[in-house]
Amino acid sequence: MKLFEYEGKKLFEKYGIPVPKGVLLTMESTRPLLAPPLALKAQVLAGERKARGGVLFVEDMQDFEKAKRKLFETTIDGETPSYILAEERIQAVQELYVSFSYDTESRGPILAISAKGGTGIAEAQIIPIDIALGLPDFLIRNALLQAQLPLNSSLIALIKSLWRLFIEEKAILAEINPLFVVKEGVYVAGDAKIILDDNVMNPLFRPFLDLDGDIAVLASGGGASLINLDALLYFGGKPANYVEYSGNPPASVVEELTVRVFSKPGLKGCWVVGGTANFTDIYETMLGFVQGLRKIQPKPTFPIVIRRDGPRQKEGFEMLREVAKNEGYNFHLYGPELPMSETARIMVELAYKK
Amino acid sequence: MSILVDKNTIVLVQGITGREGSRAAREMISYGTKVAAGVTPGKGGTKTEEGIPVFNSVKEAKGAFPEINTSLIAVPPAFVLDATLEAMANRIRLIDILTEKVPVAEVARMIRFAEYYQAKIVGPSSVGILSPGKGKVGSIGSSELVYRIFAPGPVGVISKSGGMTAELSRILTEQGLGQSTIIGIGGDLLIGSDFVDLALEFEKDAETKAIAIFGEIGGTYEEQLAEAISAGKITKPVVALIAGRFAEQLPQDTVLGHAGAIVSKGRGSARSKIEALTKAGALVANTPEEIPSLIKKVLT
Repeated sequence: MKLFEYEGKKLFEKYGIPVPKGVLLTMESTRPLLAPPLALKAQVLAGERKARGGVLFVEDMQDFEKAKRKLFETTIDGETPSYILAEERIQAVQELYVSFSYDTESRGPILAISAKGGTGIAEAQIIPIDIALGLPDFLIRNALLQAQLPLNSSLIALIKSLWRLFIEEKAILAEINPLFVVKEGVYVAGDAKIILDDNVMNPLFRPFLDLDGDIAVLASGGGASLINLDALLYFGGKPANYVEYSGNPPASVVEELTVRVFSKPGLKGCWVVGGTANFTDIYETMLGFVQGLRKIQPKPTFPIVIRRDGPRQKEGFEMLREVAKNEGYNFHLYGPELPMSETARIMVELAYKK
Repeated sequence: MSILVDKNTIVLVQGITGREGSRAAREMISYGTKVAAGVTPGKGGTKTEEGIPVFNSVKEAKGAFPEINTSLIAVPPAFVLDATLEAMANRIRLIDILTEKVPVAEVARMIRFAEYYQAKIVGPSSVGILSPGKGKVGSIGSSELVYRIFAPGPVGVISKSGGMTAELSRILTEQGLGQSTIIGIGGDLLIGSDFVDLALEFEKDAETKAIAIFGEIGGTYEEQLAEAISAGKITKPVVALIAGRFAEQLPQDTVLGHAGAIVSKGRGSARSKIEALTKAGALVANTPEEIPSLIKKVLT
């Protein structure tokens, strides 16, 4: 779970990491309660925000109104901000980079640090941390030496605070970029990028992404869902969304997801796909699909390709055949006799009438 | 031969009275694997429906059944670190963690202690380990399907996805290619055993002639495998299927099907993995169904 900058900075304050003076603005806010010059920052989760017009600098109050309006109208990666963070401008002599994260090479936490932060950060020094030891001071000193930074006690204290935040808040990334050096010994966090561990904070998380295409996809299985979207693209199909339902969800969950994927305008097909399920009740999940489908107005006439295998597949498919016959849906049903990727090809042919 | 699991595997199930633990225990027994005992603190002295004795601690279970050499962890996420440390402290050297949603920091901790105790952890979020005809640990291959899907043979299978272990094995078996051992390593950010760890095991196994892997975006385990191949540490042919090419255009840090499937630019992307593996000499399949023909190509 990625936090907005202003949420991350609240955590910084909690752990004693200095941040610029700032005010959170909504569309209705008129005055920033801070004197210009200011940095106005759209509160979106997307990366490279500055390069994409999400950060504007204002010198006076006239600029402020204009910039505020502009930021609230700017969409980055499909996101328009609900808030803008207005902050005092910091005059920095240097911008550093520092972060803690988990690394798949050392399979543990790492400290990454660089004397050149900001946009286009140069190569950072990577220092693996033995989680059984934690972060003793000598390791921070080694990191600073490696990054050619001074062994300043307030910088060491700041890095320790960031480590405490990383561990205690169950983060998988805690990053300050840039870390402003105002003068020797005075540091201010210019930005905050914090990702919390979904396993702890959000265990019921189910990803749903809108994509540009016109074939709705209901995929099953963490890995199979990815390989199936790849297959759809490989055969020339354009997926309208990514969603995945794993485990053995009740019909109501599938019903809800079905309504959501069918809500997209301009669909040309729908592909319900999964591998050989070990424990997922196919009848139950297909029942949820049909319940969702019945809620869609007008009734979808485009082809719906269903490929499923697993417990109660036969009962599920009998039910689907009945529904197709009585209610007039354009179902194409396949079991394990046909590979998943082959049904991607069929879906593409039917949807685009190739 | 096979790796990790064979006829000598004797299993302890930690969390045997829970839903996942009891189902896995039943499944293992039905495949002919010896499940000696279970542990659920507070339920010691009872027996499961199948007559497996339940103990309060690993120490007690090991005291009664010193031959236990493998533990399946099926306790709720908050207790996984403790259960894993308990297994390691009692000198159990192979630990398969079925539980999903284990906090990343705790996984890092158990990986560190596994070095100290010289134990091998598979998972978390591992569907299990199966050596066809010899035994299995975990919930891999439900009893209705297990004989249709898996068959003994020369292909070692390593998969980040639990579901795809069944799918890949079925496709291989249908094309007359059996498997030596199939392992679900889990799709978490940090995992106890990665592609390199297990490919090195397959390297030592005389029965295994080729290795098939299912990888996906996020992390660098696939790139590390490519590096191990290039360095000459893995000499057996590798056929790979890498999922997540479609995600190239998605915003960075987006999480897809598994906790470790994080959209990344550069290293960690599907393209980076496919290029690294191809350059190292591995064959990369476009679809699961292409894998058997690629395996046959490298076996001749």
